[in-house]
Amino acid sequence: MFLIAIGKWIRRYFFEGLALLLIAGSLFFFKETLNYLANRDYVAALLVMVIGVAVISVGKEMARLALVQRD
Amino acid sequence: MALYIRQVAEVTTERRWRTFADVVAFTLGTNVWISIVILPAAFVHAVHGAYMLALVLPFAVLMLGLVRRSEGILLGLFPAAVLVPVGLKAELASSHVYGPVRFALVAAGVIAYLFGVSFFTTFHEPPAPRSVRPLSSAQQGTAERWKRRERVYWMLMALAIIFPTVLIAWVNFDSHIQGFLQTMYPGRVALMTTALSAGAIVLWLAIFHYAFLGALRPHRTGDRDLVTALAQARADAKSGKPRGRFYLAVAIALVAMFGLILLRHL
Repeated sequence: MFLIAIGKWIRRYFFEGLALLLIAGSLFFFKETLNYLANRDYVAALLVMVIGVAVISVGKEMARLALVQRD
Repeated sequence: MALYIRQVAEVTTERRWRTFADVVAFTLGTNVWISIVILPAAFVHAVHGAYMLALVLPFAVLMLGLVRRSEGILLGLFPAAVLVPVGLKAELASSHVYGPVRFALVAAGVIAYLFGVSFFTTFHEPPAPRSVRPLSSAQQGTAERWKRRERVYWMLMALAIIFPTVLIAWVNFDSHIQGFLQTMYPGRVALMTTALSAGAIVLWLAIFHYAFLGALRPHRTGDRDLVTALAQARADAKSGKPRGRFYLAVAIALVAMFGLILLRHL
């Protein structure tokens, strides 16, 4: 019983940490998008922006899983 | 006999409304097609050759929508089909084709078409009631929450008219934007103006969907779609596994990274 509770606790903080990391990490992709735009490399900027949005989406799913663990 | 007469009367009323809705959609849709596609194409001397197919496409879609009486075609596919000839020849939407007065007339025509189709194709005159019994709740007038909701709907309609019109007019007629485009994209001003106008429409659709409709969504009650979505969310939460969009996002990120590598090294 105790081990199950510990496992749930670890999983919850793992998902929360991962969600935070992914959502914060997506900022890097958006910063790169701006750099590519400044260099007028529009296709690369679009691709990096898509990666950033996808990373945020994955982070959002991780946050949702963390909420489920909390319940 | 009385029942037969009543049924015939209902059918006649229904037919009359449908014919009226068809005539409204045809008249206003043809006006949109001529004002956005045919007249600008004639103005830039583009009514010839294979491009004629692109010019006729929106009218064909309009006819298909009328034959099938499909709101999806009339309100979604037809406006998209109108953009096909404009997308192929960006000069059709350039600011030297549209002066401010002509732009205002065309915008009014588009708004009239969208309003006419969405209103008249769904509006039906109810048949005369067999008997009438007043309910006690009917004496109290419309509830305040329904009045609030109606006000919100009217505001959404006003926003749906004002925002895209102002955004597109801003892109096309603001001297700073046009000056910037002439400096940055010499020889491609019409193309970039059309791209910016399309971007303005996409931006507005995203804002409307997420900021306005998104905020209203939790307040919808008795909505079958919403109830199904909530049940699905509960089932997803119980399973404790990521949803399909997680895997989709990962796949998109991987494909985009692969594309970036190809772009850099090929």
